Amino acid sequence: MSIIDLTSMGEPQSDLRKELNDRLTKLQDEISDYCFQCAKCTSGCESHKLLELEPHKIVALLKRGLINELVNSDVIWTCMTCLKCRERCPQRVAPVEILFALKNMAVASGKQIPGKYTGMLQSILSMGLIQDIQQTTTRTNKTLKRDELGLPPLSKPIDVVKFQAGIMKIAMEKV
Amino acid sequence: MKKKYALFPGCLMPTEQYAYELSIRETLPLLDVELVDVEGFSCCGEPMKSVNQLLTVYLSARNLAIAEKHHLDVFAPCAMCHLALSECQHILEENPAMKERINGMLAAEGLNYTVKRQVVHTVDLLYDQVGIEKIKEHVKKPLNGLKIAAHYGCHILRPSEIGRPDDSENPQKIEAILKALGAEPVDYPQKLDCCGAPLLANLPESALTKTGQKLQAIQEQGIQGMVDVCPWCHKMFDSRQTKAGETVAAKLDVPVLYLTQLLGLAMGISGEKLGLELNLSPVEKLQLGDVK
Ligand code: SF4
Ligand code: SF4
Repeated sequence: MSIIDLTSMGEPQSDLRKELNDRLTKLQDEISDYCFQCAKCTSGCESHKLLELEPHKIVALLKRGLINELVNSDVIWTCMTCLKCRERCPQRVAPVEILFALKNMAVASGKQIPGKYTGMLQSILSMGLIQDIQQTTTRTNKTLKRDELGLPPLSKPIDVVKFQAGIMKIAMEKV
Repeated sequence: MKKKYALFPGCLMPTEQYAYELSIRETLPLLDVELVDVEGFSCCGEPMKSVNQLLTVYLSARNLAIAEKHHLDVFAPCAMCHLALSECQHILEENPAMKERINGMLAAEGLNYTVKRQVVHTVDLLYDQVGIEKIKEHVKKPLNGLKIAAHYGCHILRPSEIGRPDDSENPQKIEAILKALGAEPVDYPQKLDCCGAPLLANLPESALTKTGQKLQAIQEQGIQGMVDVCPWCHKMFDSRQTKAGETVAAKLDVPVLYLTQLLGLAMGISGEKLGLELNLSPVEKLQLGDVK
């Protein structure tokens, strides 16, 4: 099984898209009632100064139904997931969750996944973790791995085929 | 009374952030915490949340179900893992349909999630389960008023509505632990700033800028060092400190340790056993024990 199965399979992908669309529509309905554009979320946003992310504008765009525009924009990938916007919103709107739903939608729509996400996902599929044991460098430039430090064996899925079968169900599942 | 937990290592700590694992395994058993190694755990799923949130819930539920099979509560030292597992419990408890759906998938591995078990992180494990008094009893080499900044990490503080190890806006548990060790915790305006790690996957330059900005602020305030409690935060502040300095055009030299390393040093454990040789920031500046 490869990343293709999870992210851009023909039929299951349309199920996933439908599910995400329902979630976004539900979020849209909710925030239309609640968000009053006070911008408290943006004032504390960790990605605001550095990457010009403005969560209150994301909410405003969703409120206006511009889901496609959002899904296609790079800005949704600048969130640092610090969760401050969710914590501090006086109206219990959670821009960070809207951003997660939008990114999931971008992936389900077959958009290119940025950066190292693909590699991490492939590693999870093949051995259960985002990466295998790495060599590490000490202060004195020695290289070491976990067993040389006396640490016990890595905990990871024992039967990879069964592990993949479980994940496969996410890709295949009919909602 | 002895506490017993499955040690849920996650991905980053057991594959590269060895100093955290070493210092956890050295210190906690001396404080009557029994750590059980369990086979078969996988990624918590949090790193995949931007790609597919259902995958995150599934992977977390899978790990919780493994702990459940062994009748164990869970100790997750990584802030990301702790959030993923806690949020998964919250979702499955609130949403029976989702629970059924996830259990249907877990059947592929003969697993099943039924009950909510305790999931702790380093901070609440030390503060609430072990307790400050017991920590004080074990301090053999008090830290002589060392001025230390605490970095909590976003994911153990928020969202408070699902229950987090410390207060979302004014966390104080690490400070209380530092005091018990004889250090002087320093309050600083950037305390709640993010380490930047969640952007490593797709915007590494920006991620490191965030790291550099926080370290620079700490350095400028004359604080002697920083402690953290998450392998992602530590990867940024310690392992990548030199690179982070380049992004803010500063020569950074802030000693950064895992809280459990500083705890171990105060308990009289050697720097070697606590993995201090793996810290790449200038920890020797703190002149603690045998740390070179
Ligand atoms: S999401 Fe919340 S904090 Fe942000 S503008 Fe709307 S009401 Fe204000
Ligand atoms: S979670 Fe994302 S959008 Fe919300 S405040 Fe943090 S960086 Fe900004």
